[in-house]
Parts: sequence; C-alpha cells; structure tokens
Amino acid sequence: MSRRYDSRTTIFSPEGRLYQVEYALEAISHAGTALGILAQDGIVLAAERKVTSKLLEQDTSAEKLYILNDNMICAVAGMTADANILINYARQAAQRYLLTYNEDIPCEQLVRRLCDLKQGYTQHGGLRPFGVSFIYAGYDPQTHFQLYQSNPSGNYGGWKATSVGANNASAQSLLKQDYNGDCNLKEACGLAVKVLSKTMDSTNLSSEKIEFATVGKTKEGKVYHHLWGAEEIDALLKEHGLGKAKEEEDEDRMER
Amino acid sequence: MEVLLGITGKDFTIMASSKAAMRGATILKATDDKTRELNKQTLMAFSGEAGDTVQFAEYIQANIQLYSMRNDTHLGPPAVASFVRGELARSLRSRRPYTVNLLLGGFDSITEKPSLYWIDYLASCVPLPYAAHGYAQYYCLSILDKHHHPDIDLETGMKILRMCTDELRRRLPVDFKGIAVKIITRDGIREEEYTDDHVVRSA
Amino acid sequence: MDTLVSRYSRPAFVDREYTAEDQEDAYQATPSLSLQFALPPVSQASSWLRAMTDDHSNPSCPIKIAHGTTTLAFRFQGGIIVATDSRATAGNWIASQTVKKVIEINSCLLGTMAGGAADCQYWLAYLGMQCRLHELRHKRRITVAAASKILANLVYAYKGMGLSMGTMCAGVTPQEGPALYYIDSDGTRLSGNLFCVGSGQTFAYGVLDAEYRYDLTEQEALELGSRSILAATHRDAFSGGFINLYHVKEDGWVKHGFNDTNPIFWKTKLEKGEFSNVTAELD
Repeated sequence: MSRRYDSRTTIFSPEGRLYQVEYALEAISHAGTALGILAQDGIVLAAERKVTSKLLEQDTSAEKLYILNDNMICAVAGMTADANILINYARQAAQRYLLTYNEDIPCEQLVRRLCDLKQGYTQHGGLRPFGVSFIYAGYDPQTHFQLYQSNPSGNYGGWKATSVGANNASAQSLLKQDYNGDCNLKEACGLAVKVLSKTMDSTNLSSEKIEFATVGKTKEGKVYHHLWGAEEIDALLKEHGLGKAKEEEDEDRMER
Repeated sequence: MEVLLGITGKDFTIMASSKAAMRGATILKATDDKTRELNKQTLMAFSGEAGDTVQFAEYIQANIQLYSMRNDTHLGPPAVASFVRGELARSLRSRRPYTVNLLLGGFDSITEKPSLYWIDYLASCVPLPYAAHGYAQYYCLSILDKHHHPDIDLETGMKILRMCTDELRRRLPVDFKGIAVKIITRDGIREEEYTDDHVVRSA
Repeated sequence: MDTLVSRYSRPAFVDREYTAEDQEDAYQATPSLSLQFALPPVSQASSWLRAMTDDHSNPSCPIKIAHGTTTLAFRFQGGIIVATDSRATAGNWIASQTVKKVIEINSCLLGTMAGGAADCQYWLAYLGMQCRLHELRHKRRITVAAASKILANLVYAYKGMGLSMGTMCAGVTPQEGPALYYIDSDGTRLSGNLFCVGSGQTFAYGVLDAEYRYDLTEQEALELGSRSILAATHRDAFSGGFINLYHVKEDGWVKHGFNDTNPIFWKTKLEKGEFSNVTAELD
C-alpha cells in the first residue's frame, strides 16, 4: 500500500509521513557512530570508522571528519558519497561568505545553508534526499563555541552533546548521564572515548577504528581545529585504559 | 563642495556631514542629511554624484537590514565595510557605476572598539582613525594629523571637530550650511546638537 | 691646413665684433619695466606655452614646469615668520629636494617661491636687483609695499603669457614696521597677516589657522610655522624635503635652519603621539 507514496520524495503518505526521508534516516542509523561534546574551552568530535576488510587499504586521512572552514569542522554519519557533495557545497558557501564580508561565516548560518539544500530534496525535484547526518563543531565571535546536528530532513539543532549513527540511542543516554556542562576539553575527550567504547561493537578500540578532532583556542586566543593523528588517539585511549592490552596486541600480530 | 568628516576616539565615532544640498550654483536644501543608518551601530555618510548617492546608500541599507532580519544578528562594522566595498567594486565594473564616496562609522560590539572606514568611488577601502572626503580632506586632515590621538574622549573629539569646521568656514569659498553630527557608541547612534553660529575670526 | 687649424683653435669670441646694438644691450641687459622680455616666435605665446607645458592633458609634453610647493608666512607680535619646504617637482618627477625657496632680497626683505621654479627664481632675482637700485637711487631701503608692487606690476605686464608664480614678500622697514604681501602671476597683490601658497597650502592653513594668534611668542610662532610645513609635506605629494625657516625682526631677518622633514616627522610622531594614522602594524 505504501508503495504509492514511496517512490516520490515530494509526496506525503496518508499518515503524513515522507517515507524517503525516513528511509534515509534509517540508512544513517546503520552507519558508524559519530558524537560531539561541547566543553567550556572547546569541542570534541569523535567517530567510529568501520573496518570492513583487512584487505582494504587503511586510509591515513580522516574519512568521517572534515574541515568545512577555518572556524568549523564536522562529523559525518551516513553515505560518504552524499556527504562529499554537501561538504563541497558548505566549503564553497563558507568561502563565498568570506569573500563578501572578509570574515568567517557564523556557524549557524553555514549549518542553515546546508540544511536549506537538504530540505529542498524533501520537497521538490523528484530526487532522493541526501543520506547523511552531520555533527558540526565551530566557533564564531558572536556565539563562541557551538555544536549542531542536522539530518536528511533539513532539520537542525544546537546541542551540548549529541550523537548520530549506529547505537545513537544508547550513546545519547550515556552522554545525558555523564555530561557535565562545566567540563573542559580534556574531560570532554575522556567522555567521548568512554561513550564510544561502550557503543561500538568491537571490544577493543584503536586508532584504526576511531577518528578524533577538536576545536579550541590557543593560548594567544586564536581559534584552531585539529584532526588527531594516530599516535594522539592511541595516547588518549591508553590514558583511559581503553587501548589494546599488551598481550592482545601481540596476538594480533601473530594472527597477521 | 560637500563635507564629510569622521573621527574615532576611545569609545565613540563622530560622523559629520554638511547640511547643504547643492546643484550648480543653487543650494536646494539647507538641512540635508547625507547619512543612513545601516544597523544599530553602523552609520554610512555619503557624497558624490547627485542621485547615485541616496540610491546606493539605501540599496546598501536595505541589504544590511535584510541580513539582520534573516540571520537574527547584525553584521559588525568590518563585515559591513567589506560588503559595501564589494558592492561598489561590482558596480564599478558595470555599464553605469555609482559615483559615490563613503565614510562608514561604527562601533564593534564584539571588540568594544569604534571603527571608521574610508571608501571612495573606485572602491578603495581603508580603516582609519580619522577621515574626510572632498575639500574637507585638504583643510581638516592636517588638523587631525596634529590634534588627534586614538584614546581621546568625546569632549576632545568634539573640540577637534570644532577646529575642523571653523577652518572650513574660514577657508571654503562656499557656505555649506553647517554640519549635522551623529555619534556612534556602544549604545547605538544618536544625533548631536551642533550649533555653528559663532563668528569665526580670520587671521 | 695651418690656416684652418689657426682659424678653429682661436677662441670664438675673438671673432666677435660688437655692434652698437650689442653695446646698448650690455648696459641694459635686463628688461626695464616695459615689455622687452624675449617671447617665443609664435603668434599666440600663451597658448603655445600652454600646449608645451600642460602635462595634465598631455603627459608627454616637451616642457615640464617645476610646480608644487608649500610656503607660508605670517605676522605676529614679534615680527614675521617665513617657512617653506624644499621640494621641486616636474610632473611626477622629484627634481630636487634641496631647493632654497626663500630668496634673501636684502637683509630686511625676504621673498618666497611657489609655482614655476624658473619664473620665481628669475623674477625674484630681478626684484632683488630693482630693490638694490632703488636703494642706490633714493639712499634708503625700499618699502615692502613698493617692492611687492614692482613685482606685481611686472607679472601683470606678462599676464596671460603663461607665467606661473605665487610669492610672498616679507620685510621690516622703519616706515611700515613688519609687512607681508602676497603676489601671484594673475596680478593679485594683497597685504595681510597670514598667507600659505602652493599645492600644500590647504594643509598648512589647517594647522596654522587653528592655532594662530597675533600674540604668539617667538618660540611658539617658529614652532607653529615649522609644524605647518610638516603637515603639508606629510599630506601633499608635491611638497617635501627640508623645512626652511626664517624670522623677520625689527633689525632684519634671522635664519632658523634648513632641516630635514623626515627625522622631524618621526620625532613629532613618537614624542607627541601625533600622526596617529601612520602605523607600522602588520596584521
């Protein structure tokens, strides 16, 4: 029965639903988890990278975390190919704003530009919506550090801590439980790995399986964003006792 | 012979513009306002080709106000200056460019500092502590060079402005019908009473 | 061969025979106040000159006249201050930075140069000569009023022929006391308390008018004169170089130096905090 309303994104079902949008959301709930936590002095984004095959070349660069602008980064959950289109769009929008106003685009405006585009695909065009949710982390002088999340419907909202992708319900409740509004960036990073370790399927975390990025301010007050290297991630995992145990690592090597 | 003057100080920007609207050898109006408020704390003063001036100023005003409505926040003075410069540069390369010279005074609520931009019809844009357009440049800049300091208070600023207008009244060959003065502070834009009826003594 | 060599090795002037006319010229080498100045052999001297020298409409004009200057002079209770810059420009070219724009006509009379450098130099030198002749003829020094009138009448006689000068005559005589006149090539001659002349005049007027009083002390007056020239050299591209400063007093003028503007500018900026628009910040 629902067939009649499925194939077209622009048509409501009798229950008042847009199936294609819901399917897109469904697709995302199978993607690797991504989460963001807002701290007093910065924001941390973390994402799970699904290792599908040992034969697959491990990309050294981030594939779930992207830089949008000098003042903004984002985490992706969903179809990477769709995300690439949107990220490219966002980067261009940010540069165009910079060209016009000679200053970085305010975070919410960039999020809204992306969401306006996403929304368009839920209403007209006869095309499928983008199958991606984003978590955005950024800074602007007006609102300071900000964390946003958006989904294929074109809705977005500001958050203190949020997550998308697989197990996001449990991640969300863990965050709700442990989030402390006065935390600093370091504590937020700790919370991020803790949540990831509980929501990810694999028992062992490693730099191969997760990505990390932070937005913060240097001692001179300059805003920076930083995609973490493997060593930094491993060091963080070790600090929180979540890295691989020594023996396991040896075992791993034997297996190979 | 339109006069535009801008002076910044510790926590304010003074914008002054002559009140005469001249066409050829006639003064059409003696209470002309050559400024437009762009948003809560940026003010644009303009001079140049008749018709172009107000058209351009109100076009900019509309766009800046649209931005404020759309985004629920106002653009800071540096962003406004970049936008205005961009629009002027775009117009310059069109079939009929706007011939407008501008001073853009503002107060930046984020840095808590006053700001002043000098923009000419060729779309040069320079941030300056004090600025002038037209013949006022020739008479007032040397006074400001000597008497202006970045951290002056409003009273000193008005005193320097008085030196400038006295000199203009003394040396400019036409009567520019006095000036209208507006002051921009963190509280917004206000018009300042400026009486100009005393006798200026010539050497 | 020898005749050829001897012909050409002889100094040229030996051949020259003086005609009666030449002899006459030797006594009257300078033009009198009537028109005797050599003019270009064309029907309209002034339009020819304009065509040759107007580098505004024709940047490749064959004659570049040196223009652009700031000069000022003002009367005050202690006499007269005369100050000038020292830059000579021809088009966009700075021809000299060390021009003496104050002409010492005699120990009590000064003239200033603005406009065409050659015109000023020539005619002020000529004025100097006429003043000396006046002195010899009348056994007393010429008044400033008379000297300035000689110049004014002279330039008026050449009106419309392309002379370009704006000068001031400052001096003290027993009859007049300290006196100051402005003369320009249009034929204008004005007496007054304060004049600034040249492309930088407005900038100098700005500073000078703002703080000028007749009862300035000598020190204040010298400082104000110097500062006004500095203001003009800072804002006017055609003024610069050195500040030439004179003080005309009861018993003649006193020179107060020929000082480079550059160190004065930085001293003024750094010690008094003026010129706050000049920044060295790189951001």
